[in-house]
Amino acid sequence: MNKQAEDIKVIREMMEKSSKFLSLSGLSGIVAGISGTCGAVFAYFYLQCDSAMSHSERIRESLVLLTDALLVLLVSIGFGIFFSWKKAKKSNQKLFNSATKRILYQLAIPLIAGGIFSFIFLLRGHVDLVAALTLIFYGLALLNASKYTFEEIYYLGITEIVCGLLAAIFLNHGLLFWTIGFGLCHIFYGLAMYIKYDLKKK
Amino acid sequence: MTSIISNLNKVFDSRIRLGIMSVLSVNEGADFNTLKELLEITDGNLASHLKALENIHYIQSRKQFIGRKPNTKYEITELGRNCFKEHLDALEKLMN
Repeated sequence: MNKQAEDIKVIREMMEKSSKFLSLSGLSGIVAGISGTCGAVFAYFYLQCDSAMSHSERIRESLVLLTDALLVLLVSIGFGIFFSWKKAKKSNQKLFNSATKRILYQLAIPLIAGGIFSFIFLLRGHVDLVAALTLIFYGLALLNASKYTFEEIYYLGITEIVCGLLAAIFLNHGLLFWTIGFGLCHIFYGLAMYIKYDLKKK
Repeated sequence: MTSIISNLNKVFDSRIRLGIMSVLSVNEGADFNTLKELLEITDGNLASHLKALENIHYIQSRKQFIGRKPNTKYEITELGRNCFKEHLDALEKLMN
């Protein structure tokens, strides 16, 4: 009887290991959340100091905000790769296996589409909707990729979509919902995943 | 009870063969090195088990070139999938 139980364990483990990206570390989420919050706080205070602006000032402002957003993105992706690489090394796995390629592909399609769409809105002057759009497309991307990794990503995706819709309804508080979605939710889910998957294995 | 046990496939007595079939049943296919990494075994050991599964037509291999490197990709066959599923069902029944 014991052999059969052990057999089932092996089968389950092999199916998961080969088809899912399990090197995702909760720490990546925590760092992404912190950098997202910092970026949002910076944007909040930066936006505070304007009232009547000339056209050139407005362009300079959007450039600063775009740089701010790109910095947050770079820090998040950089640390994301770093922590995944460390976790993969610890469990003797290659970081870029077929499961990794699959999940990146599934993430990329909605993210790139959403990125272009948000950028078009930005160029047409609908700055107020960008927070909602980025949240919704990011949520959809997570939802799409969640089949290939931990189940928490599914719920994180839904949370981001809800935050995005709220940001669209309460248009004046877009930045607040953006901070909750990209900042606090990442920290919360990151922490939960770190405790559930990473701490337990040590 | 004996009838349930007889449904267990002797081929899958080996953990390595069980592992190979598990990987191939949830993926479109896997190459030799991927399997080796997942199962954490030596080349020779893996090759002999793959050969055994291929000989009874549970899996099939396809040789291809990635750049200049030869690469063998393995896929599960219809027969292999059915036998593996029967084995899983039998295991499940035993556990209940």
